[in-house]
Amino acid sequence: MRFIAHRLLLFAAALFGVSVLVFVALRILPGDVAAVMAGTAATPDRIAALRAQFGLDRPLVVQYLDWAGGLLRGDLGTSALTGRAVVAQVGQRASLTFPLILMSLAVALAIGLPLGCASVLARGRRMRGFLHVVAIVGGAVPALWSGLLLILLFSRGTGLIGIFPSQGFPSEGWRDFGRALASLVLPSVATGIVAGAGIMRYTRAAVGDLVDGGAIDMAMACGMTRTQAVLRVGLRLATPQLVSVVGLTFAQMITGVMVVESLFALPGLGALLIGDVGNRDLIAVQSELFLLAAFFLTLGLVIDLIHRALDPRLRIGAGSGESAARSNGGER
Amino acid sequence: MTMRNLSESCTRVFRAIWRRGSGRYALTVLGLWMAVAVVSLFWTPQPLLATDGYHVWAAPSAAHPLGTDGTGADVLSWLMAGSRTNLVIAALTVVCSGALGLLLVGLMVSRRAGLGSVTVAVVDALISIPTVLIALLLTVPFGASVGVIVGACSIAYGLNLARVARPAAMLAARSDYVGSAFAGGASGWYAFTRHVVPNIAPVLAVQLSISAGTSVLAEAGLTYLGVGVGAGVPSWGHSLATSVKFINVFPLTVLWPGLVVTLAVVALNLLGDALVRVGEEVAR
Repeated sequence: MRFIAHRLLLFAAALFGVSVLVFVALRILPGDVAAVMAGTAATPDRIAALRAQFGLDRPLVVQYLDWAGGLLRGDLGTSALTGRAVVAQVGQRASLTFPLILMSLAVALAIGLPLGCASVLARGRRMRGFLHVVAIVGGAVPALWSGLLLILLFSRGTGLIGIFPSQGFPSEGWRDFGRALASLVLPSVATGIVAGAGIMRYTRAAVGDLVDGGAIDMAMACGMTRTQAVLRVGLRLATPQLVSVVGLTFAQMITGVMVVESLFALPGLGALLIGDVGNRDLIAVQSELFLLAAFFLTLGLVIDLIHRALDPRLRIGAGSGESAARSNGGER
Repeated sequence: MTMRNLSESCTRVFRAIWRRGSGRYALTVLGLWMAVAVVSLFWTPQPLLATDGYHVWAAPSAAHPLGTDGTGADVLSWLMAGSRTNLVIAALTVVCSGALGLLLVGLMVSRRAGLGSVTVAVVDALISIPTVLIALLLTVPFGASVGVIVGACSIAYGLNLARVARPAAMLAARSDYVGSAFAGGASGWYAFTRHVVPNIAPVLAVQLSISAGTSVLAEAGLTYLGVGVGAGVPSWGHSLATSVKFINVFPLTVLWPGLVVTLAVVALNLLGDALVRVGEEVAR
């Protein structure tokens, strides 16, 4: 209980810290958002009027409190360029990006877990070496490149075997479920391969440690075959660590997800954010960055809590978060 | 540890890595990478800014060993010049993330209990923030540049490094030799540099080599997204991003930059692996 209270307090403090950080970083920018909006032929009066309209002439502390108060009420402000509420924009884009992330994660797990177990189980020197090469090379491919190769292989029109649409997202969104899903297949595989190689390495390390630690020998002494022992006992014992890994993978996949969104012309969160940064749409960028950071902080919190619930050893006390980050990998 | 000892142990580690097949590959690729980066300062097959208007999208030839892109610029020349930028990014990332990681580890194991636990908490909370968000945050005030990539990578990997190195550092900080060093009147700085740092050096070396590889991938991704190296700066990510637009017409040009990135990252990851093995051998 004390741990949970402690962790929640930390979470709240981190949220506050990130909001200040985002605010300050965006206010020291040289490009004045009002000047950008007013255009190149703007008179100083016009710029001043815009500054007043968006409240940019008030003291920074007042601006911050105004913004943060809005965040607490769920009001993320209005985009200075489109005039639309940031909440609506983000919500619409997230309906594409989150399924994409989840599908990428599913692909990564489908690749990483079996191959990770296989590389623990592999007996032959050749097989081990081969799987090792797969893990290393898979983790070294930029998502941009794997996406391109997938387009060249499987996309309709240009690919060798044209099965999936190469670009775009149906304008009806998820109401056209089949097409929407089909348009996310290649992007999610492109990011999933890279993340999968990372999960494969983690799985091999976590389960391999159990083999060294004797848990697998014990299970075999009780009558299981090696394969059974690794799959039933090893995987289950490694679950808390693997949950942490999935959390980290989530965060690491984001660059890749943004890249494939752009590559496959998907109107997702990444495209929105990149566009707003390019346009210096101050208020939108500020809220979007905070929202995404808050999402990842929440994810970290949830993962920590799950990890703790799954691993009874941590409840007794002297647990160090050692398992959470053995090695890093993938495109962070 | 004197300078002489340090250079001797570096030579030993180098030899141990070279003895392994994968380590030999890693060192060869890294050596080649550095050599090409240096050579590109003085010579490239074609001048960087020369565009050959008569040979746009040319197939590989004697004048253009890897062909040309849509503006008639020589692909090989740009890749060679790019290796320079990526080398700088990787090296700066290693130095800065290493420094940040060491600083955080130092705070974590500091004898002021409050300071240590606050640092641990901050690292735990921030570890889940993705590199690309840090890069975007830095891009708004500073504009896309090499510095933004290095800054974002250094912060993200430095946090990660601190988290990974913490267990070993804690173990060393609580050890009897650190206790006796303090009893002998040593300063915290002395105990940290003399006793804690050597203990986490193996973890540090492995993580930093992986970080260098990840920085290459991050550069490719960020540059493609428009928050990486500025316009006109040669880099592997730049080469990849410019060829992407014409993938439907000239798929072959995409092959080279992707291949270069993958080979380099594989080399750095293998170096990390080899360092793990060497560390295990030394421990034994």
